[in-house]
Amino acid sequence: MSPAELFALLPVLILALGSAALLLLGAWQAPPRLLLFSGVALALAAAAAAIFLPAAVAEVSRLYGAGAYARFFTVLWSGVAALTLLLSVRYAEERRFAVGEYTALVLFAAAGMALLSAATSLVGFFLGLEAYTLVLYILIAFHKKDALGAEAGLKYLILGAVGTAFLAFGIALIYTASGTFHLPEAMAGIAAGTQMRPIGLLGWGMLLVVIGFKVSLVPFHLWTPDVYQGAPAPVAGLLSTGSKGAVFAALVTLLAGLSAGRAELEPFLWLLSVLSMLVGTLCALRQENLKRMLAYSSVVHMGYVLIALLAGGGAGRAAVVFYLVVYAVVNLGAFGVIASLADAKEEPQSNSDFHGIGWRYPLRCAVLAIFLLSLAGIPPTAGFMGKFAIFHAAIAADLPLLAALGILASLVSVYYYLRVIMLMFMTYECPVRHPRGGAAEHTALAFCLAATLILGIYPGPLFDLIVVILP
Amino acid sequence: MNPTAFPILSLLIALPMGAAAVCLALRRHPAISRWLSLLVTLAVLALALWLFVAAQGGDGGWLLYEDYPWIPYFGIRYILGLDGISLLLVLLTAITQALAVIVSWRRKYQVAIFYSMLLFMEAGILGVFLALDLFLFYLFWEVMLLPMFFLIGVWGHERRVYAAIKFFIFTMAGSLLMLLAVIAMYILHGRQTGDFTFALAALQHTAIPAGLEPWLFGAFVLAFAVKAPLLPLHTWLPDAHTEAPTAGSLDLAGLLLKTGLYGLLRIAFPLFPEMTQAVLPLLAALAIAGIFYAAWIAYAQTDSKRLVAYSSVAHVGFMMLGLCAWDAMAVEGSVLQMFNHGITTGALFIMIGMIQHRAETREIGKLGGLWARVPVLSAFFLFFAMASLGLPGLNNFVGEILILLGTFRVNPLWGALGMAGVLFAAAYMLRLVQGVLWGTPGPVHDATCWPDLGAREVLVLAPLAILVLFLGLYPEPFLEPIREPVRRLLAGTSLLALKGGLP
Repeated sequence: MSPAELFALLPVLILALGSAALLLLGAWQAPPRLLLFSGVALALAAAAAAIFLPAAVAEVSRLYGAGAYARFFTVLWSGVAALTLLLSVRYAEERRFAVGEYTALVLFAAAGMALLSAATSLVGFFLGLEAYTLVLYILIAFHKKDALGAEAGLKYLILGAVGTAFLAFGIALIYTASGTFHLPEAMAGIAAGTQMRPIGLLGWGMLLVVIGFKVSLVPFHLWTPDVYQGAPAPVAGLLSTGSKGAVFAALVTLLAGLSAGRAELEPFLWLLSVLSMLVGTLCALRQENLKRMLAYSSVVHMGYVLIALLAGGGAGRAAVVFYLVVYAVVNLGAFGVIASLADAKEEPQSNSDFHGIGWRYPLRCAVLAIFLLSLAGIPPTAGFMGKFAIFHAAIAADLPLLAALGILASLVSVYYYLRVIMLMFMTYECPVRHPRGGAAEHTALAFCLAATLILGIYPGPLFDLIVVILP
Repeated sequence: MNPTAFPILSLLIALPMGAAAVCLALRRHPAISRWLSLLVTLAVLALALWLFVAAQGGDGGWLLYEDYPWIPYFGIRYILGLDGISLLLVLLTAITQALAVIVSWRRKYQVAIFYSMLLFMEAGILGVFLALDLFLFYLFWEVMLLPMFFLIGVWGHERRVYAAIKFFIFTMAGSLLMLLAVIAMYILHGRQTGDFTFALAALQHTAIPAGLEPWLFGAFVLAFAVKAPLLPLHTWLPDAHTEAPTAGSLDLAGLLLKTGLYGLLRIAFPLFPEMTQAVLPLLAALAIAGIFYAAWIAYAQTDSKRLVAYSSVAHVGFMMLGLCAWDAMAVEGSVLQMFNHGITTGALFIMIGMIQHRAETREIGKLGGLWARVPVLSAFFLFFAMASLGLPGLNNFVGEILILLGTFRVNPLWGALGMAGVLFAAAYMLRLVQGVLWGTPGPVHDATCWPDLGAREVLVLAPLAILVLFLGLYPEPFLEPIREPVRRLLAGTSLLALKGGLP
């Protein structure tokens, strides 16, 4: 690996090495806040490095891209990690988390996500995905005294292990068919007329299964509600935004190189998208627990993203990337509010915890309401802009049926999002007490809120940026 | 006319929007937010009045026009335009919102937020009446929903949550379909001309494939018909109107219903001229059915507020019938009637709020004999009720007679049926008046809590009464600005085609 390539990896190195350093520092009984805030500083440093120190090479070891697209997602996931850490400050302190490990793991997860988004080879894809999945096993079950957390960790571990097996085997099959791991070429192996085409397609199918698991598309979504419910709220935020977004970011690269096999894959993607939207919506309707509802809502949202991916073309890919940014900000914010309302013992999750608290904690509840409205896609929030971009891409690509289904799902989704808002603001107050929350959480929430509103009202610059960075 | 001139239209929207944000921040200062809202709504009213006086008699083009790029990636522009029709509705909005603030003066629960919602809604409604870019229009269309949802859900009466969600889901269903149609129009136009834009003026020249046209037109009409509401889609209205606080009912009846009709007139009809001609008879049939059905149901109501709510559906039927006649006189009458209905029905809702405040009931059966107890209040009530049923010399008569005359010219049958509808209106209105003002006095728990109208209440009602009389006797100043836009609309060369919107 040449120095230029190492330099190209600098943002990821900052995250990974910083993570290791914090792990060591944690052993010296450093004050928890110092560890968390240095974690935030490291994540921001990585983001700054990704923006201001462009790489001299386009690709590192034929594994990872170092171009604008990769850098964009490095910045995004570093930002998500920083926000997650900010949201965890009080949460981790009150639960006596081993903060050194916690911070290190979050940073390492960000490194993994950045690598996965940048992957230009199937090996890179595998490494990035496994890097942060392993971290998430630990993070989900980080609260050792929480039985639900342990259950969630175990569920994610078992399904994740199955996923890993599928992934490795799928990659092996594609390699057999094409003789290379490198991405545009690996797809050539399944071009029409090649002898190994069935094997390549089988590999692709397995890859899709893994992707379905990771971004929780129906019918691979069953772990999602339990894991979301059990995981600590900030971790659930990271899980629902970064870990899914990174897979989609890589998928954009994968599909961009795929010209010949597209026709065979499209029906599957179509089916996954439709099922995710329908089943996710119907299940979300019945939830009495906010975190579970958000889990099913994330299933639906991934269905929307899949529409844009299917639409393809410049418009579709831009819509995917824009939606990932929006979803990251909004969903992290929603879980952030849950974290900030959590006391030392438990998080507010069930609907009764939110009953009538709107006027007691008006700021945070209003902020949560705005995030929920954004998830429902109501203007002038970023969620509306994201959905608009997706439906626009779908209609432009002549997929009116998918667009109509998406609209239908959004319509029904309005009900379950508004339900939480109605519980908070339109019922009589209940004597539920929640903590006041700390400055760090409030900063993170304010940032998410500002991003939600700005991207909703003035999204032009971000779209212009996305058009430039798309591969 | 000049885009570089001072952006008065943006100011119209920005004033309430900014004040709403300030009110949110002033959560703990109800008094300040109350006065701020009053000042801002009055400022908007002053601005609207000034526009009404000064901007009249233009050359028939846009009286005011603004156009800036907004989201270049999608070719979305920020286009606002004011012509006679929107001028009248902007004025109505300004009047209604100022009244809504005064009517809610004594409100105690979360006052600042309440006013903030009222102001947000004012901004949204003004935006709907002014936007000429379909995307911008859609944005405002949705922005006015949310505050209404909260007004009903937080400050409403017993079944408020149910009414709020029903209102929201109904309108959302219509508008999401409209969003699909808007995007489809945008893409069609872009593919045909290479110019991707949401500007209404440009989209008008889109050649729509015959197979697609009914779907797109249907999506638009559905969105607007839910809001208007047209007959089978009206079920959200009685709940929302009844459960909403007085200010909310005022806005719903006075303004939100008009946005649906305005949308048909400004967007759906000009975008699809051929489809419109084909569908007008169907819409007219629905409108006439609505007149009779709503009148029938209104007659059977025991809740006075619900009765007035159903009367709104009947009135909307008249306005719709006027639009469907597609005749200059009828359409002018319709637009004027939008204004009239806002004034009289708004006044009735205000008065029912006042009665409910005193009697703590809205049931017609429990009221009665108010004439003896509170003569001034009763006189005003009678006056507005008479205006609402179309007494000659008062405002609704002018609108209705124009609609009916115009309809007669086009289709005598529709005209005759509409005329019979007026009779029905008299029936339920007289029943309301009889039940509330005359008859045996209802059981009253405490005679001391029955003061006659206070100064604040007279201050609200007197201007409305003057307006009712003025419009009834001399409607010309209000008809004059809409004459030219209506003529162009009917000629198929609505203002949109003339100027603007094209980036």
